[in-house]
Amino acid sequence: MKRPLHPAQACFQQVLSRRQWLDCMFTGLVGVGLLDLLAREVPAVEWVPGQGMPHFPARAKRVLQIFCPGGVSHVDLWDYKPELERRAGEPLPGEENFVSFQGKNGALMAPPWPFVKAGQCGKPISSMLPHLAKHVDDIAFIHSMTSKSNTHGPACVFMNTGQTSEGFPSAGAWVSYALGSENRNLPTYVAIPDIRGEPPNGKANWSAGFLPAKHQGIVMAAHRPIRNLATPESISIEEEQATRRFLNFLNRRHLQQREGNTELQARIAAYELAARMQLSAPEVSNLAAEPASIHRLYGTEDPNKLKAAYARNCLLARRLLERGVRYVTLYCASRASGVDGLLNWDAHKTLKPDYERHCPILDQPTAALLTDLKQRGLLDETVVIWTTEFGRMPTHQQGTKGRDHNPDGFTCWMMGAGVKGGVSYGATDEFGRRAVEKPTTVWDFYATLLYLLGLDHTRVTYYYNGLDRRLTDVHGHIIHELLA
Amino acid sequence: MTRPKPTLGLGWMVCVLGMGWGLNTSLWADQPVDFQKDVAPIFQKHCLSCHSAEKKKGDLSLATPEDLLEGGYVVPGDVESSALLELIVVPPGKPRPEMPKSGKPLSEKQIQLIRRWIAQGAHWPKGLVLKPLRGDENWWAYQPLWEGEPPQVPQAPPQWRKNPIDRFIYARLAQAGLKPNPPADRRTWIRRVTYDLTGLPPTPEEVQAFLNDDSPDAYEKVVDRLLASPAYGEQWGRHWLDVVRFGESNGFERNVIINNLWPYRDYVIRSFNQDKPFNRFILEQLAGDVLEPYNPEVAVGTAFLVCGPYDNVGNQDPVQAAIIRANTLDEIIRATAEAFLGITMGCARCHEHKFDPIEQDDYYAWYATFAGVFHGDREIASPQQRRLRQEKLRPLLAKKQKLQQQRNQLIARVLKRAEQKLSSFQATWTREPVSRYGTEERFPPVEARFVRLRVFALDTNPDARTGFRIDEFEVWTSGPQSRNVAQLALGAKAQGASRTAEDFADAYSADRAIDGDFGTRWIAAGPELVITLPQKVRIERIVFSSDRQRQLPPTHGYTAFVGEYVIEVSLDGKSWSVVADSRLRKPLNDRLRRKRLLEAEITPEERSQLDQLSAQLAQVESEIRAVPPFPRWWVGRMRPAPGPFHIFQRGDPQKKGPAVVPKSISVLERTVGAYRLDPKAPEAERRLALARWIASDRNALTLRVLANRVWHYHFGRGIVSTPSDFGMMGTRPTHPKLLDFLARYLRDHGWRLKPLHRLIVLSQTYRQSSAFRPEAAKKDANTTLLWRYPPRRLTAEQVRDTMLAVAGVLDRRMGGPGFRLYRYLQDNVATYEPLDRPGPETYRRSVYHQNARAARVDVLSDFDCPDPAFAAPRRAQTTSPLQALTMMNHQFVLDMAQAMASRLRREAGPEPKAQVRRAFWLLFAREPEPEELEQATQLVRQFGLTALCRAMFNANEMIYLD
Repeated sequence: MKRPLHPAQACFQQVLSRRQWLDCMFTGLVGVGLLDLLAREVPAVEWVPGQGMPHFPARAKRVLQIFCPGGVSHVDLWDYKPELERRAGEPLPGEENFVSFQGKNGALMAPPWPFVKAGQCGKPISSMLPHLAKHVDDIAFIHSMTSKSNTHGPACVFMNTGQTSEGFPSAGAWVSYALGSENRNLPTYVAIPDIRGEPPNGKANWSAGFLPAKHQGIVMAAHRPIRNLATPESISIEEEQATRRFLNFLNRRHLQQREGNTELQARIAAYELAARMQLSAPEVSNLAAEPASIHRLYGTEDPNKLKAAYARNCLLARRLLERGVRYVTLYCASRASGVDGLLNWDAHKTLKPDYERHCPILDQPTAALLTDLKQRGLLDETVVIWTTEFGRMPTHQQGTKGRDHNPDGFTCWMMGAGVKGGVSYGATDEFGRRAVEKPTTVWDFYATLLYLLGLDHTRVTYYYNGLDRRLTDVHGHIIHELLA
Repeated sequence: MTRPKPTLGLGWMVCVLGMGWGLNTSLWADQPVDFQKDVAPIFQKHCLSCHSAEKKKGDLSLATPEDLLEGGYVVPGDVESSALLELIVVPPGKPRPEMPKSGKPLSEKQIQLIRRWIAQGAHWPKGLVLKPLRGDENWWAYQPLWEGEPPQVPQAPPQWRKNPIDRFIYARLAQAGLKPNPPADRRTWIRRVTYDLTGLPPTPEEVQAFLNDDSPDAYEKVVDRLLASPAYGEQWGRHWLDVVRFGESNGFERNVIINNLWPYRDYVIRSFNQDKPFNRFILEQLAGDVLEPYNPEVAVGTAFLVCGPYDNVGNQDPVQAAIIRANTLDEIIRATAEAFLGITMGCARCHEHKFDPIEQDDYYAWYATFAGVFHGDREIASPQQRRLRQEKLRPLLAKKQKLQQQRNQLIARVLKRAEQKLSSFQATWTREPVSRYGTEERFPPVEARFVRLRVFALDTNPDARTGFRIDEFEVWTSGPQSRNVAQLALGAKAQGASRTAEDFADAYSADRAIDGDFGTRWIAAGPELVITLPQKVRIERIVFSSDRQRQLPPTHGYTAFVGEYVIEVSLDGKSWSVVADSRLRKPLNDRLRRKRLLEAEITPEERSQLDQLSAQLAQVESEIRAVPPFPRWWVGRMRPAPGPFHIFQRGDPQKKGPAVVPKSISVLERTVGAYRLDPKAPEAERRLALARWIASDRNALTLRVLANRVWHYHFGRGIVSTPSDFGMMGTRPTHPKLLDFLARYLRDHGWRLKPLHRLIVLSQTYRQSSAFRPEAAKKDANTTLLWRYPPRRLTAEQVRDTMLAVAGVLDRRMGGPGFRLYRYLQDNVATYEPLDRPGPETYRRSVYHQNARAARVDVLSDFDCPDPAFAAPRRAQTTSPLQALTMMNHQFVLDMAQAMASRLRREAGPEPKAQVRRAFWLLFAREPEPEELEQATQLVRQFGLTALCRAMFNANEMIYLD
């Protein structure tokens, strides 16, 4: 129950600026016992996690995270470096003998494809991403991202949890914990793995860590329904109904004898939610309900099977967001395989053919998803983030035509609700080797994301083993330059 | 469990208040503020961690008033001019105040206090220097054990005056104006204690026997029976495995399964069942290899150190490699400190512990202690055992060597002959060698429906016939407008064994050789590729390669290629004719050349000799393998790792600070005693010294932490509810003297747990009913004072084991390699796919599940069996719709329901009422009530017994303990 507010308190709660406050004062409301009210303690509205309650007005309600595992090369796709083209073949000044993750590095290597200017803002984007390039006027690029680790496992969980060790909650789990669900029939946080398999570190990327298990990402994809969702075929509708009736009968009796036990009630409610999910999840996964024009836009029927599969996941992501799923993480590519760069963006040895395989999978479907979110007005409430674990070296790896891991400077981006479009924040040096201007951490990135969701990242905490833990650890600065 | 933090009403609300400053300060000015009591704690808690006398961040210290006054932060008597307020109040339009930089902003109440303090003249007692709020050696947990007597409770009913536990509990309840519940009925108690001690439900017969036993020691008999049951070790060993973050894969990116860590799990279960003194158990886990290096039963203990996650990807960058190693040791340090001492040691890695009196020096003393511990397995055997084995092996090894010599000599002889007529061979090698960048064959046009490549050597290894890669294999038609017909897009098919990636089947398949994409490759796992063309066609040219785009140097392992081959064509896929081969090509390298010469020169007699030698070699090698190896278990590899060791400033291995030596934790030395080793002390000595110090009778902290864990598992909540954190951020004990009494009880009973279990489960406190009393709940909603037995949900393992047990299919075999509820897929990295239908080989107790990290497996994961990324000193007890979906729909539950149904038919006969009764007894340990019997029977009649069992598995009554 909400207590009725004293008019002056109501006024406080609505005040957003000193100016409005003064207005409020002069409408006379303040006269009534204001000083008295000030002298007493104003009853604070306690922030309670999981109740859809932000700390301050939210600019976004939902998050779509696109994750390209393997370490996407910023210098080949997003971060145009003319010097790199000009001085290809020369050694990287000052780091001639640099040893990185897989060993020694060779000379500077130019991107295999040209960059072209895109949008009103004229941002140069790789010609490998012609569809995504059309969205640059809505995108805020962060070119000065840094990671603590140059290794996929730690860096991947670092990007997703703010910690390089496993076992910490992912951003989606934190958001689920902080804001709770926005719908009654679907999970709060959904992870959509790629058809090629799980990302590096697998399920740790959508783990609830030490948060209650209900905050974990629920796995579903166009090629894979939620596990255990369907009633087994051997059980008829009548049997299912009778079984549930009997179960309910048992549980109600059991509960009657144990008043005050909210857990038992919660468990009965969980069975009801599960039953609703059994109806809603197949509905949301039913991509056939979409018109042909939408399928064409995304490329769900593309002869490239991998692209078509990812396109279907993009479409699924939109349908989930549309129905109020709070946080969706969409993976494009998967884990390390027997061949670097085959199943994900980890182009150590053969960058050109690798990316000529990956870029077309990513480009059109993702761009279509962004277009579709925009045309439906969903982008006004959804913030989209594009992430990867780290970037790649401007040099080629010795004896190969690929690039090694580079955690010292890379690109991520944001767009949508509350985000300024057409901007580029921070910068790497002239070759893209290191972030030199406004170096940005994963914690800054998530401090900003939480801010967009109306959350103070320092107050979204959970006690675990000695500390009040946070997604942003003890760090994080909001990047105000990115905010619309 | 979330600990609700007093969240402060903030955001712009505070700004409103802030702007009210000028209005009137006199309202609060009359209530005097006590600086030491009211204001100092705010500074200590929120400001001094940075603005201390030592750190002086931003040149400001709040330890003394000088800086505050000089900088104009505080102007006594003048709130409006005091800059401090501007810093701590949320400015308009900003989400948070400037200070404190991290952590929660100050509450309006705190801000008001500061304001009043300033308005009243900002009095600061002379000479008072504030220190950051941090525990010190007076912290309760670091004191020696309290050695007093349990309280007298004359007002308590007589049965509450006997067991010392009850006296403590009753006295505390009385203080709070509470009384305990009456005892639970016998049926409830036996169900509770049986699950608690064994993790399994009592059988109906056990329940009946207890109900009918009116002897005075009926309860004792049940407890003794349960404590003697091997299931006790399975249940309580599982608890310990939670505490030590036991996981059977290495985690991180590769997450490779570890198949020889199970002996530690068995060792833990055995230790609990034997009631091994816990101080001995501690010694063995930290230094078992030092105590009895050749006794596997003892040496296995150190698996404790290495059963946590660690990154094994490897890193060529030395700076990153040093960080990874430091992370690995940090994991071991934290696990050890938390498991045994309830100290969150990891917080002292980068700087002194913010809350507890643990210094960086203490942390790096442990770093030095564990510096020689590496993850991995080790053969456990004494020198004597090794000698014996070596003696058995010696003749076999000698024989092997001799055979190898003979073979090499034979080959050398043939080659020598061949080299003498080298030029004649060379004259025939007229064509270009094979090339990864493109190998072409032209031949007279021929009709073909099938094309076959047969490989006899690789360019990297003349003795291997598979493992090569092909990016494209093109088959070109003859005549004008020649085109490549070996294309998937045209309907061609490719067959050939390939490396497999089960989660992405097409990754390396033969299709990759005809997909028109030079970026993907077939990785062969056999020597043949067969291409079926869309239709019969005349062909005259074949081009194949492993790196057509010339991305890598021609010797790179990624593009290993064919060395010797034959290409054949066929019209029917049965009779083949050769169209091309590599015989006339120049050998690509010397190894291939030698192979060519050998093949050409060897006589039939020599060939048969060679074959014979090879067969003999294979025979002796298999005999060598048959000599039984020693246990090779995952117990860690200990290396000398000599000092000196240093503090890493800010945790950075590149920034060495002052030197450290292996030593005791300073703050505990007054209670426990101290040790300090030479910086050159051997690795084994370092660990042993720490182990002895932790397991010392004087170490009150170890004893308290252990006693609290036991209590925690019996009541679902510890006397300290943060079982691995006895520091400032943990909770305080609800019954500090009881905790010390239990700790003493452990110590005085030789660190054995079973006497303590007995004391606890036979207490009245434990025997109480769990009935809810609203008036008691008003005073103690969370039952922390134990006015009732706190009801709780079964653990994941108990849920699963119960279904197996009541279905009558539980396989009680103990020990040995674990079973898996997932399919293990490995293709460089590991993937764990949960099984849709686990078979009977998985019907063992859940403690024997091979618990890999980041592998989710239906029932176990859904009911909060922890992913052992971290220790789980306290399990979550969540409720989620996934549980409902799994319990209603997973095949395992259906299989169990069916098995239980057949058991009911077997044991209760064909009559539904009798079947229902039996079902209720098996699952709920009680008789059904008439209405239940009626409804249940109806369900059985309509939809069969399986439906009933499935419903009952999902009932709250099954998974909750009263």
